[in-house]
Amino acid sequence: MSVSTEISVPRETRRGTAHVAAVWQKLPNSVLEETWQTAEQVTLTVKADALPEAVETLYYGHNGWMSVVVGSDERMINGSYAVYYVLSMEGAEKSYVALRALVPPETMEFPSVTPKVPAAVWGEREVRDMFGMRPVGLPDERRLVLPDDWPDDLYPLRKDAMDYRLRPEATTETETYKFINAAKQETTEVPLGPLHITSDEPGHFRLFVDGEDIIDADYRLFYVHRGMEKLAETRMGYNDVTFLADRICGICGFTHSVAYASSIENALGIHAPPRAATIRTILLEVERLHSHLLNLGLACHFVGFDSGFMHFFRVREKSMELAELLTGSRKTYALNLIGGVRRDILAEQNIRTKQLIGELREEVTRLLDILLTTANMRQRLEKVGLLDKQVARDYSPVGPTVRASGHRRDVRIDHPYAGYAGVPVGQHVMEGCDVLSRVLVRAQEFFDSIAIIEHCLDNAPSGPVLVEGFTYIPHRFALGYTEAPRGEDIHWSMLGDNQKLHRWRCRAASYNNWPSLRYMLRGNTISDAPLIVASIDPCYSCTDRVTVVDVRKRDTSIIPYKEMERYCRERTNSPLK
Amino acid sequence: MYKLLKEAFRTGNVTVRYPFAPLPAAPNFRGKPHYEPEQCIACAACTIACPANALTMSNDVAAGTRTWEICFGRCVFCGRCEEVCPTQAIVLSPEFEMAVLDRADLYQTAEFTLASCRNCATPFAPRKEIDYVVALLVNAGLPEADAERRRAMLEVCPACKRHSEVVREAGSSGSGWHQIGVTP
Amino acid sequence: MSMQTVAVPTTAAAAAESEREQTARLKKTLLQDIGRSIYVFRIDAGGCNGCDIEIFAALTPVFDIERFGIKVVPSPRHADVILCTGAMTRAMRRPALRAYDAAPDPKIVIAYGACGCTGGIFHDLYCVWGGVDKVMPVDVYIPGCPPTPPATIYGFALALGMLDQKLKAGQHVEAPDEQVAISHPHVPYTLRIALEREARRMAGYRQGREIADSFMTLLDHDDAKPVAQRVAEFVARENDPRLTEIVRSLEAICTSVGTNP
Repeated sequence: MSVSTEISVPRETRRGTAHVAAVWQKLPNSVLEETWQTAEQVTLTVKADALPEAVETLYYGHNGWMSVVVGSDERMINGSYAVYYVLSMEGAEKSYVALRALVPPETMEFPSVTPKVPAAVWGEREVRDMFGMRPVGLPDERRLVLPDDWPDDLYPLRKDAMDYRLRPEATTETETYKFINAAKQETTEVPLGPLHITSDEPGHFRLFVDGEDIIDADYRLFYVHRGMEKLAETRMGYNDVTFLADRICGICGFTHSVAYASSIENALGIHAPPRAATIRTILLEVERLHSHLLNLGLACHFVGFDSGFMHFFRVREKSMELAELLTGSRKTYALNLIGGVRRDILAEQNIRTKQLIGELREEVTRLLDILLTTANMRQRLEKVGLLDKQVARDYSPVGPTVRASGHRRDVRIDHPYAGYAGVPVGQHVMEGCDVLSRVLVRAQEFFDSIAIIEHCLDNAPSGPVLVEGFTYIPHRFALGYTEAPRGEDIHWSMLGDNQKLHRWRCRAASYNNWPSLRYMLRGNTISDAPLIVASIDPCYSCTDRVTVVDVRKRDTSIIPYKEMERYCRERTNSPLK
Repeated sequence: MYKLLKEAFRTGNVTVRYPFAPLPAAPNFRGKPHYEPEQCIACAACTIACPANALTMSNDVAAGTRTWEICFGRCVFCGRCEEVCPTQAIVLSPEFEMAVLDRADLYQTAEFTLASCRNCATPFAPRKEIDYVVALLVNAGLPEADAERRRAMLEVCPACKRHSEVVREAGSSGSGWHQIGVTP
Repeated sequence: MSMQTVAVPTTAAAAAESEREQTARLKKTLLQDIGRSIYVFRIDAGGCNGCDIEIFAALTPVFDIERFGIKVVPSPRHADVILCTGAMTRAMRRPALRAYDAAPDPKIVIAYGACGCTGGIFHDLYCVWGGVDKVMPVDVYIPGCPPTPPATIYGFALALGMLDQKLKAGQHVEAPDEQVAISHPHVPYTLRIALEREARRMAGYRQGREIADSFMTLLDHDDAKPVAQRVAEFVARENDPRLTEIVRSLEAICTSVGTNP
């Protein structure tokens, strides 16, 4: 990276200098370069062989959490590939530190960080798939993102590999993904998937069981991989990607759009006007409302409480109406441009918004009371799907999932963005580690969101909603981050030299929650599996059948996921018999 | 259980009457793009701005036409076309009843005439766009008497303009404009 | 689901009628004779999930698509209608086809959402095939990103023959002497552009345009009142502090450009 692309960050504003000093001290001969993208973001380039230790130092030694691993083809910039390990530092001095290493194109190898920091496993599997880089020592070398029928030597994100429209012939007609488990005996497998029950996206689960008890689980996801990151480098201009980001996820799309726009604004030092930041904040919280109501409704559905499900969805319609009022659409808000937003909030919308959130607050208070006092509800949710606090620390989950296991992580508080710096955000943390705790955290956040929206409406700054007329400087890069309903969304963007992105890495919240799911499933019964999966509020793919592997009996049954769900709700007539 | 029943009674019937009664349109709902070809100057700004390639523009130089096309099946209803259109020829309406049985019904086209270059006679720019530019110049203060002269300058394709500039820069036999029979 | 008897063709007639024609005929029967109760199997062929959640919303009390007898079933083997969302990712092609093959004939396939109809914003990407009809024949297309529950109801009503199709292909050919009107021709050009840009900066493309148009209409008005008074009355009528702020900044532009309001 040449110095000219670095944005000038005055020394006295920099946050994270203690972490940088820690790396320098631990590995004095290994730090090659230090560049600051914003006052809270620094990138340290280290020698590749020092990378695992550097990451471990910051992760376990300085309260760092793994946010994202980014691979990048930088051959036309400096002759190498590069890999960035972005850590969210959440101790006394909160900031983002990225540890970067160059990967030589001749070998494509670098030492794997996963043996020291398990949270890096998916990120490293993904750079294998997309670039052909080889993290040496990575314990799990299965494909993560690309489908089974994708050719072996074709790495989509290499700049010279292929046109973004290339559709290679299928290399296999069967599913070749190997499911792994940590069971000590031989196990029977019960495949679940790919067309799922909770109506969500496709995925494929394998549960390893002994009788009714789950010993381990594995899952195959990314059936929804479409190739967006390559699209952003090719057909899309900077403003188009905000609309693409809306469609990363149909539930938290706007959060992604804000994260992306922020990443470009951070990279170029653009300050969206205060009113735009507030409008973004309001819509981010509106999105949280609909998403949490969705999850609460599904929680009801899974314990067989369908009336509750219908009521939550009935009430949720008010949050959809709210979104339509403020953005023109129930979903896919299409509100962001680089430099601000595309719509304003005038008096009529202000008044109606306050009406709707008042109704929401009242209705949901009543519904939650019904939910939590319904016979059997607590019993179904309590002590189920435990995510141990230390396991959480090892795998860096995010959002209500991690907050329900006692960790105080929330991007709105740790790394304020959009308009959050001036807004009171409650921190809702529970120690129960179970499904019930996650439900309660979401319920508390719901009411908090309403308060935030009210605060923003009453204190919305005046002025424009958009700034324009800035210069795009090639090869500047930065992070954009948000707290989606599910947790931290983080985007890493590097600008290109052709009015398009050079590299865009968009990491959704659930990506960080999936790896710890198998630990949540262990020790529970099969009938609770759908409930536990739903409790991380996954933005994932659905499964249509579950493969259940019986460890002791050594047999495999394939059970339709609908059957699993029915069993979860009714608790009678086990599908395994 | 009692609380649930109470809630159910309190709520009553919430179902909308649609399709048995029209659904009231939310103000500024982003529905079907409404296009008025009469108002279009075929400048292609919308096709560049559209993130989904739902809007496309193609030239047929031999026939001297430019064709605009929209595919409602690809449209993501973001409103970028409305945002960038200089003449408000395309505006998102509240219309949402767009389902079709035949895929071909998702497409609409509009064909525009290309004006030909006064120098090389190649069709190169929409006639309506040139007309609109001249009208804007007049609206901005250009004397009517000069409008036709300015139109003649506009009706020269970029290749010929470049050529005449090079000729003029080289200083050979007077202004390049004279070479193409135009008095600026 | 009520089954009406369908005339079974004789051998000679069957030989004459190709399999495709038979299926088309049975499909028509399905549409007409199946009554008001149809079973729907959902496939998500790689969508962002927005469409799937809107389908969910259509099933819930506010829109209640079940009142038309439309029921979502857990197995394709019971399905009359396959409702497919998503752009058809590579990974989902085979599972989607498995489900399609498992559903008995006659069946209707509905492509739902921009991704389902054409691949939408992803239409040309390496990991999608570009729409449901790249992999299986589609009978009904419901555009939208995502289609709202009322649009879903409309799509199903169309599929069942309850409502007529509104959208039709169209071709326009430029008429001779077709001219584009300039908006607010009496407002000086540089002023108009400055006002439009400021309004967009302040309130976005849609509301900004509305506000700029209202303001310029006030400038254009030919009653006896001075412009400043007309603007003051407008602002008082609207009674919207934010609108007032925006109109003040437009007035400031008028002053600086030299046209005194």
